[in-house]
Amino acid sequence: MADLGRAALIVSFGLALWALVAGIAGAKANRRLLVDSARNALIACFVSTFVASAILASALVRHDFTFTYVASHTSHDLPTLYSLSAFWGGQEGSLLLWLLILSAYAAVTVTLNKRLLRDLIAWTVPVFAGIATFFSFILVAVSSPFVTQSRAVDGAGLTPSLQNPYMVAHPPMLYLGYVGLTVPFAFAAGALLSRQADERWLIATRRWTLLAWMFLGFGQLLGSHWAYVEVGWGGYYAWDPVENAALMPWLVATAFLHSVMIQERKGMLKIWNVVLVSLAFELSVFGTFLTRSGVINSIHSFAKSSIGPWFLVFVCITTIFSTTLILTRMPLLRARTKLESALSREATFLYNNLLLVALSLTILWGVLFPVLTQIFIGESKTIGRPYYDFFLRAFGLPLLLLMGIGPLIAWRRASVRSLLTTLRWPMSVAIIAGIGLVIAGAGSSYPGLIAYTFCAFVLTTIVVEVVRGTRATGSLTELVGRNRRRYGGYVVHFAIVMLAIGIAGSSAYGTTKEQFLNPGQTMTVAGYHVTYKKLEVEKGATSSETRAVLTFTGKATGTLKSGTNAYFADGSSSREVGIHTNWLRAEDLYVIFDQKQGGGVYFKVLVKPLVNLIWIAGIIFVIGSLVALWPDAREQKKLVARLALARA
Amino acid sequence: MAVARSKRNPARLVVALAIAMLLAVFLLYTAVVGNSTPVLQPSNLAGHAGTVSLTGEVIGPVTGDSHTTGLDFGLKDISGTSPVIPIDFHGSVPDLFKVGRHVNLTGQMKNGTFVATDMTTKCPSKYTSTNGS
Amino acid sequence: MTSLVLGAILAAGAVLLTAMPFIQHADNLNAPLDGPTPEQERRIAVIEERDRALSALKELEFDHRTGKIDDTDYRTLVGPLRRTAADALRIIDEGAAKE
Repeated sequence: MADLGRAALIVSFGLALWALVAGIAGAKANRRLLVDSARNALIACFVSTFVASAILASALVRHDFTFTYVASHTSHDLPTLYSLSAFWGGQEGSLLLWLLILSAYAAVTVTLNKRLLRDLIAWTVPVFAGIATFFSFILVAVSSPFVTQSRAVDGAGLTPSLQNPYMVAHPPMLYLGYVGLTVPFAFAAGALLSRQADERWLIATRRWTLLAWMFLGFGQLLGSHWAYVEVGWGGYYAWDPVENAALMPWLVATAFLHSVMIQERKGMLKIWNVVLVSLAFELSVFGTFLTRSGVINSIHSFAKSSIGPWFLVFVCITTIFSTTLILTRMPLLRARTKLESALSREATFLYNNLLLVALSLTILWGVLFPVLTQIFIGESKTIGRPYYDFFLRAFGLPLLLLMGIGPLIAWRRASVRSLLTTLRWPMSVAIIAGIGLVIAGAGSSYPGLIAYTFCAFVLTTIVVEVVRGTRATGSLTELVGRNRRRYGGYVVHFAIVMLAIGIAGSSAYGTTKEQFLNPGQTMTVAGYHVTYKKLEVEKGATSSETRAVLTFTGKATGTLKSGTNAYFADGSSSREVGIHTNWLRAEDLYVIFDQKQGGGVYFKVLVKPLVNLIWIAGIIFVIGSLVALWPDAREQKKLVARLALARA
Repeated sequence: MAVARSKRNPARLVVALAIAMLLAVFLLYTAVVGNSTPVLQPSNLAGHAGTVSLTGEVIGPVTGDSHTTGLDFGLKDISGTSPVIPIDFHGSVPDLFKVGRHVNLTGQMKNGTFVATDMTTKCPSKYTSTNGS
Repeated sequence: MTSLVLGAILAAGAVLLTAMPFIQHADNLNAPLDGPTPEQERRIAVIEERDRALSALKELEFDHRTGKIDDTDYRTLVGPLRRTAADALRIIDEGAAKE
């Protein structure tokens, strides 16, 4: 069966290569049959990649240890779900997943648009094909999942901390996001290559970009949640290069989602948009490179792998390609209208874009710093957490404010007078909230206070918009149904506000305390009295589980267990934290079993206010995105009618 | 993006100023605070006096207690030969710590021993190529 | 053995799918890509112009009704937008009348 898998990947490679070559030839020479053949090859590439994936998946579930990949990442007693998730647990499998998702996205988007955008698709196909050629080449020649060995007795198994539902969902979700950003890039490149200067590629890919962005955002939150409950240091984001690798393209994609609205309405920012979409794509491939090459010293860093140099070359080639394409097509990208005022919705979106891109580039600088210093001064240096925290605040807080101003400011030109009138409710509520917060003690952290006040401002803006809109339309459902993008966007803004409140609360207003407790002793942390009762040791199938039983009173009452697992297989241990969620306050009591000493234990207890808003924000974020991208039958009819009218 | 040519239209100027301000914030921060820590391995630790970040492989025996006298172990380069640096660690021992694990320590050299206050372990390699880990 | 057979079937299927356009239209191998003609392109562009103007008008009305834009601003902005939409509609009608 491994042979078939290998063969299927070779077929994928051949098809991708044909789609690339025939696609370019057909588009250049204006030969329809070559173009159609290239498109068919791209679709067939998906089919053969699917076959290869099915073979790997089946081998994993069957624990076929003649596959080296299966032996390295699963074991006899590994449950089916985790055996399947081992598909993306290793390098070869992850690359195959990339190719599968890429060919799927390519096949679907190219087929859906084949009638509407014929000449554009002719060039989009070879762009997709070029990327697919690279990945299938790597899978065939450099890093194959179908390497075989003599049957092993048992496999190495999956790292215990990865045997967690969040870790099952996190990588595929991220990949659906990363790879999804290829769609707008390929269509943008297709538009430029076919010398089309209008917004058709934007409209065709709008929903796909939103979908990819949604997956990428939600995937990151899944990873953060896993880090919080499983890795157990009390935090959820460490500014680790691999975490940043997903954040950077997401921020750029957020900027892109906003600036496309400007291009659609005003025909402005055309160059900026193609630059953004290329940057988002490059960052997502670069992110994959960072994760795999071992070039950056990171907690997640994996030993220097064989594909690092290949990825670097690929990133360089695609960057040169995009840059050359944009530079040579600049005359096509003339704006239709101009920016009339620094105080207008267009300008607000532009400031939002600048802040998002600035934040992304700041993070990129931090990620690359160790590599650059190594190259230029011979010694590698890292930049610590304070740098990232500072810029998150410096750029993030103004972004929060803009989120409240943007929806209420007028297009083209807003007078200060009219702006102050529309903003009077949000401003008043924000000031009152600010005063209330200071009285409640939030003044202990200035950034926290500012964040909360801005959040109050934005929340009021959203409420004002919804109330006014409902009054004008008559019903809320009709309002949202007729303006899905706008109101879906407001739901997403609401989610971001929740996220901001959750992050500010848990970081700026959290409490940490470390104390050694003997059985019977109590420690008090931020209103919770935590008592260490006893120690329980239980021998499981794969590990010995030590748990300290603790009771708490005060702000809430209950019991929780916190401890460690010691694994028999390799002697490693992992921390299993105890978390009590106080839903009334949306805060967590988080207990870490640090170390056993004699009869007592060193505990680290954290109280994290409002942290659960972060996870709730994730759900709201998905809901808002789905509302915004939900297909509109009316819109589709309009597009088709437009084409028919033109051909009449 | 073209901008209206009217002499009274400050839009382009404002946008340019916005970009300049962002750049200024960035440069000011890195110039004034600019905290970067050297990332080292045991083989090139010599000569660095201040706080550094040290990465290597844990060598036994592991003795002591990180909460009282300090957890003591050795550290060597991950690949290749290198001198073994004695480590004295005070603080929370992270998940997955054991002999042979790759760790990252933050601290400084004091009288021939590297005294560290922060340690992180690297996730066991998920992504090494099958041919050669 | 089964792997070999299945692999051959897969490869054959791939080649067939890829060659399909040539097989189906063997009589017309040099057919050009039938994208819109320049004339059709112009028409599509005008229709897009009309749609843009109409949705901008719709948004302006909505913003005015919800109080985001006051009466003075509304009066200044609505005129030019209506003119643009009317111009586009006129061009479309003229084009249709020519047929």
